[in-house]
Amino acid sequence: MKIIKAVKRYRYPYLFILPFFLLFLIFQLIPLIWTVGISFTEWNGIGSPKSVGLGNYQLLMKDYMFWDAVKNTVYYWVTGVVFILLLALLVSSLLNNKGLKASRFFKTASFLPNVCAAIAMGIIFGMLFDENAGLINQILVTFGGTRVPWLTSVTMSKIPVVILNVWRNTPWFTMIVLSGLLNISPEYYEAATVDGATAVQKFFKITLPSLSNILFFCFITLTVDSWKIFNEPYILSGPGTSNVSLFQYMYQSGFSIFKMGYAAAIGCILTLILLIISIVQFAIRVRQGEM
Amino acid sequence: MNYRTKIRLQNILVYSILSIIVFFSLFPVVWMCIISLKDTSESISGFNSLWIAHPTLGNFSKLFNAIPIWTNLYNSAFTTLLGTITTLFFCSLAGFAFAKYRFPGKQFLFYFVIATMLVPPEVGSVPLFIIMKNVGLINNLWSLVIPRIATAVGIFYMTQYIKDVPTEIIEASRIDGCGDFKIFTRVVIPIIKPALASWAVLTLIARWNDFFWPILFLRSSKKYTLMVSISLLPISDGLSTPWPVIMAGTTFAIIPIIVLYLMLQGLQKAGLTTGAVKG
Repeated sequence: MKIIKAVKRYRYPYLFILPFFLLFLIFQLIPLIWTVGISFTEWNGIGSPKSVGLGNYQLLMKDYMFWDAVKNTVYYWVTGVVFILLLALLVSSLLNNKGLKASRFFKTASFLPNVCAAIAMGIIFGMLFDENAGLINQILVTFGGTRVPWLTSVTMSKIPVVILNVWRNTPWFTMIVLSGLLNISPEYYEAATVDGATAVQKFFKITLPSLSNILFFCFITLTVDSWKIFNEPYILSGPGTSNVSLFQYMYQSGFSIFKMGYAAAIGCILTLILLIISIVQFAIRVRQGEM
Repeated sequence: MNYRTKIRLQNILVYSILSIIVFFSLFPVVWMCIISLKDTSESISGFNSLWIAHPTLGNFSKLFNAIPIWTNLYNSAFTTLLGTITTLFFCSLAGFAFAKYRFPGKQFLFYFVIATMLVPPEVGSVPLFIIMKNVGLINNLWSLVIPRIATAVGIFYMTQYIKDVPTEIIEASRIDGCGDFKIFTRVVIPIIKPALASWAVLTLIARWNDFFWPILFLRSSKKYTLMVSISLLPISDGLSTPWPVIMAGTTFAIIPIIVLYLMLQGLQKAGLTTGAVKG
């Protein structure tokens, strides 16, 4: 009775937030729970699924292609977080310069990579990194280097993917870090200047601590984005599984060879990994007394 | 070294680093446009790709013959525009509720919304495909619109922004006899126009560039969006890849959204960066 009364009294706010929860239920929560269910079966998408218990997970543990995909994804995650955050910090600090002329132009132009589709740019990067006709190798040869088989060798094929990922996603995080920089009171810097602090000291003692919330937010978003990376390795595919991401392997298992149960098991592992990373991160923040 | 030369040196350093970054940001796009205008008989390997001897639009006409690109363009525009309008409306509606109402469970529900961002919906794509099939949305453009009518990140952003709308205005219009929904459409929406505009730009870009959901849900070339269509170009012509034609395709897919971005960026006085995310 109490609940019905509350719903009636607060019907407007509940009504306003209802669409999200309804869509979340149908398109996210039910699929997620269902994924767990499918992961214990063998199923090709048609007919009835056959229960196999933990069979899919046992197969995954022995599947070298799965482990390749995990390793590649960790590689994309680490390189993405390190390069994107460092570059975003650098570019946003430069753009935050008070006396910067034409700052509007620099902001607009440096944001442009994020406007361009990963798929279209992937095709272009594929041509830039082409072994024989590509511009990158031509430049290398001109400076006395040798042609590198970027996209046809097992060891190199992750590099174009990383470069495309960093190129396209840095502007987004630059923008977020910049909005954080704009919120730091200039008085801190003035006081530090009066006390004779160097630029490096100011960066480590004022800028970084003030940005800790923003950088935490960036880290979490980058982590989720990196673990579900799909477009870049899909369009810049290298030989075999040399640069396949975990999510891409899930897609291939489910929708190219129709091993739905197997794909669902990969989805479950992906979810588990993301949850563990988030919980560890939040625990660290709580322990540091930041939240 | 005196103070002035130090400042000057610092300025030179700042401008040169920024110029290098702008160069690397723009180069691939400009390069793509150059190649898309090159005649197929011209060499495109190495440094030859940097200039055009005989600019031609021939690659574009070849492209129009190869794939139903106008239909693809329509599909992209349809899902992008409809997706953006609906998500703006429903995210700000939910943001309004979280920012300006008191109701039981509000804190919990808000944190719940944020927590849903930690697990991407893509992990459930196997059963999601089955659900879409059962409701008849496979190979239907609405499949790209409906699931994302209200997104967690949009609600989060709108809530932060609507919190700054003065509560007095809302109370005053309530006393004047305005209903809750009317307050939202007549009072709140006009005030949050700048936030709606910057969120619209970001959503337009994201939806236009969307690839995973279209390739999962759309199953025929007449239903493909531009991104799916051009992703299939490199493998469509066998061994000798017609790079200029492919580049015409990517140019066709990228330039509209760049133009739109620059136009909307020009309209906004403060630009995208201010107030996009509040710390």
